[in-house]
Amino acid sequence: MSAMQSRIAIWLDRRIPAARRFKLNHRTIFIFPSRFGGLYLFLCLGLFLLGTNYQNNLMILLCYFLISLFLINLLAAYFNFSNLDIQLGKVQNSFAGDNIQVPIWFNHRDKESHGKIHLSFWRHREKTSVDLDALANPAFIALACPQRGRLPLPRVTFSSYFPLGLYRCWTHLAFQSDIVVYPKPVRCPIRLENKSDEQEQHHASVSVKGHDDFDTLAPYKQGEPLYHVAWKQVAKGQGMLSKQFSHETGASGWLMMPKVASENLELTLSQLCYQVMELSRKNQRFGLDLGNSKIAPDSGNDHQKNCLIALALYGKRG
Amino acid sequence: MISSAKNHSHLLLTLVFFIVSFSLLEPVMSWILILVICATVMRTALYLELHKHAPSIRTLNLLALLSAIVLAYFSWQLGILLGMLNLLVLACSLKLMLLRSDKDYFQLITSCGFLIGCGFIFQQGIAFSLFYFALTLVLLMSLATHISPNLPLNKLIKKVSVMGAQAIPITLLLFMVLPLIGPLWQMPASKSHQTGLAEKVTPGDIANLSQSAELAFRVTFDGTIPAPQERYWRALVMENFDGESWQVSPDRKAIQRQYKGANREFSPILEGNYYQYQVIAEPTHQSWLYALDVATPIGASSQQKVWQSHEYQLSSISPLVSTFQYEIRSFPQVLLNQTLSSVDKRINRQLPEQGNPLTKQWVAETRQKYTTDDDFIAAVMFYFSSQDFEYTLQPPLMPNDQVDTFLFVEQRGFCSHYASAMAYMLRLGGIPARLVTGYQGGEQLDSDYMSVYQYDAHAWIEAWHDDRGWIRYDPTAIVAPNRLESGLRNALNEADLLLGSGFGQLSTVAWLNSLRNWLKDVDFFWTKWVLGFDKDKQQDLIKSLIGKITPQKLAMFSLGAVLLIFALIALFFLPIWRKPKQDKASYYYELAEHLLTKVNLHRRASQGPADFVSQVKNKAPSSITEPFAAITDLYIQHHYQPSSISQQQLIISRMKSHWKQLKQAMKKQKG
Repeated sequence: MSAMQSRIAIWLDRRIPAARRFKLNHRTIFIFPSRFGGLYLFLCLGLFLLGTNYQNNLMILLCYFLISLFLINLLAAYFNFSNLDIQLGKVQNSFAGDNIQVPIWFNHRDKESHGKIHLSFWRHREKTSVDLDALANPAFIALACPQRGRLPLPRVTFSSYFPLGLYRCWTHLAFQSDIVVYPKPVRCPIRLENKSDEQEQHHASVSVKGHDDFDTLAPYKQGEPLYHVAWKQVAKGQGMLSKQFSHETGASGWLMMPKVASENLELTLSQLCYQVMELSRKNQRFGLDLGNSKIAPDSGNDHQKNCLIALALYGKRG
Repeated sequence: MISSAKNHSHLLLTLVFFIVSFSLLEPVMSWILILVICATVMRTALYLELHKHAPSIRTLNLLALLSAIVLAYFSWQLGILLGMLNLLVLACSLKLMLLRSDKDYFQLITSCGFLIGCGFIFQQGIAFSLFYFALTLVLLMSLATHISPNLPLNKLIKKVSVMGAQAIPITLLLFMVLPLIGPLWQMPASKSHQTGLAEKVTPGDIANLSQSAELAFRVTFDGTIPAPQERYWRALVMENFDGESWQVSPDRKAIQRQYKGANREFSPILEGNYYQYQVIAEPTHQSWLYALDVATPIGASSQQKVWQSHEYQLSSISPLVSTFQYEIRSFPQVLLNQTLSSVDKRINRQLPEQGNPLTKQWVAETRQKYTTDDDFIAAVMFYFSSQDFEYTLQPPLMPNDQVDTFLFVEQRGFCSHYASAMAYMLRLGGIPARLVTGYQGGEQLDSDYMSVYQYDAHAWIEAWHDDRGWIRYDPTAIVAPNRLESGLRNALNEADLLLGSGFGQLSTVAWLNSLRNWLKDVDFFWTKWVLGFDKDKQQDLIKSLIGKITPQKLAMFSLGAVLLIFALIALFFLPIWRKPKQDKASYYYELAEHLLTKVNLHRRASQGPADFVSQVKNKAPSSITEPFAAITDLYIQHHYQPSSISQQQLIISRMKSHWKQLKQAMKKQKG
């Protein structure tokens, strides 16, 4: 980032501080004639010269008409854009090397906004566009996450050329987000270590509802996933039945960070990440010991998330 | 890369381009129009998905190269203006075939806008102006469709028309306030668009012109109006005769150039009675003007743009590409003897060596009998009146020895035949004579201006007398005296009238006539105030608004105009217009809600109306609860129950009465 760009970034941070939701206004909107706007003004100049030299008032009138439209368009473009209410949706955490899809929600304020909105991350090439007249909320923009850790969301540039393409209205919005990028999982054997003071052994071999092995049929309850419905039985007219799966929870243990600092920390983290994913998939109880922080053995989605976040932020500030 | 399939903006652009090109039918060459048709068909096929692929760039480059060569070949004849225009249309049609990106599209839009502007070079009537204005709006529609392709058509039309309507007052303000400046540089004029009189007259030419009912110019007189037989509008003086046709003498042109180079304008000494009038000439793409003898431009701007030359002829500094106004004073009693007679005489004694032996013989014999110039001229005139000459728009062809055939065999012809023959005879008799073309007459119906049409075109002669200078003779007047008194229409026989169907014969239906006159008046207003709005008129307008022009006042005026424009724009975007239209039911519901906030009952954003009512029921006395519950019920009914318009009105009136109840209940509560 050059000195100029960082200065702009600082200025933008002061002018448009980060928020989850933006109602666009004069502080956030920038507006300037587009490239076509320049061409249009050139056309006006041409008509003016032609009209003046031929002393032809009709050409001059046409020229002034186009200039008046240009003036009116300034406000038309601004008000159309300022009616937007832009909000960041819930961003799913992701693994390093993947693209995350950042959802953006558009809402109108007192009047409808029209036209296409072009979105891109600030200083990124890729562009997507949404048409506000055929809106499918939310719009997604893809963001590559090369490495683990907290991912600061770059400013998102929104631009619109409505109504006649003469002006470009744009804004660079910074969204508050707490996206964590997990290490990229790397396949490896699972090494659960038992710690001496395990009191949790009693919990072993409890049948927990899972999704590995078919166990029994039970009446379908609302909220259960549809792929658990026993469609064969439904077809036979026995009503909605849901397949119940049981899952043998294996012995619990700890995933340990090697005590001796490994030469390849990232690889170790990636392998740990794989193991966390694998164990969670099997619904096994496990703890995570990273040396400076420990997560007590547990199972479930929240536990998995906590473990993954711990791995993602290992050795990083914040 | 953008596709044309089902792309309305591309179709609209194609439509505009097609129509504009064909409205420029005359100036644009037909082979280029064929390319335009090709491009249009191609785009339409792509739009309808009859065809999937636009032609490849290589094919088009080849086509472009060939077209450029052909155009370059023709451009010698076309001249700069038409050459450029043809090039622009050609380039646009090729670009339209190629159209693949946003950039192409925007370039085409700009070029089409420019082409519409160019259309005004050739057409300036009201109808055409409205037509081009409509085309501009369609072009804007195309742009709007391009930017928001999924907006329904009716909304787009509304948006564009609203913007167009908003732009019009600002346009007019700009037009009235921004200073109109003179031409910055000389623009090329188009030779092929010259209309009206030509610099060369072959007898018979003016007869063609006489079949045109187009307007030549309009005159507004201040004070007295000359009698019909005095209305000789001089345009061109022709002093060179080759036995067949008359043209402006090359010697005279050389002299004119010298005077112009030395900036020595001819200014005759003028005295006596005068007519004062203003002429609004239609564009002719030529530079000569019309005036009664002996004329002088009046006022600074007229003097600046009108040049008077030594044949008492007025011309403008640059060709008339748009309507041209000038103020003239004419002194009918002044003699035309103020120029260098030696030059005039030398030029006007020139004769063709060959041809017309009978005329030569007749003149030699007659001249022997009548030695004085006056007697000889009278004898020539007498010849015209004594023989059985006929005035007609359809003269027979006279290929050889034209004057002989006309004078002694056919004896039928149009004004230029008579004038040409007489000037030739006088020259043969040793009297300097020349042909003058212009217009004779002009009709003034119940309006305050006189219109002169192309069919008023006329030719007469001038003969030099040493004591009085140039004297006008009109042989046509002897043959067909009606021509002067009541115009061409009455001087012609039935067959000629049928031929000249463009005369705009007065219809017998009264309202049709008054409609036609009204249209003429509208057109006059348009020509005078829109096409002819110039620096002087602008200054007059500003003067009438602010009184005497001083720098301070002018500065205030300009500032005021700018502020007015900003105020207008601000007015267009005032928040009132931008509020969504709320239905009445929501309006009363919100009013009721607002009343409840005074007793600290707030509806949370997540709370529905039904939910809120139950909350209110728990907290408020029944005097408040009952009307509010009724209002809520009606509100829900209005929104979620399909009902007819009369039912809806009933709902709203009931909501209103409940709201009043609620209001009173609240007052009591407080009291």
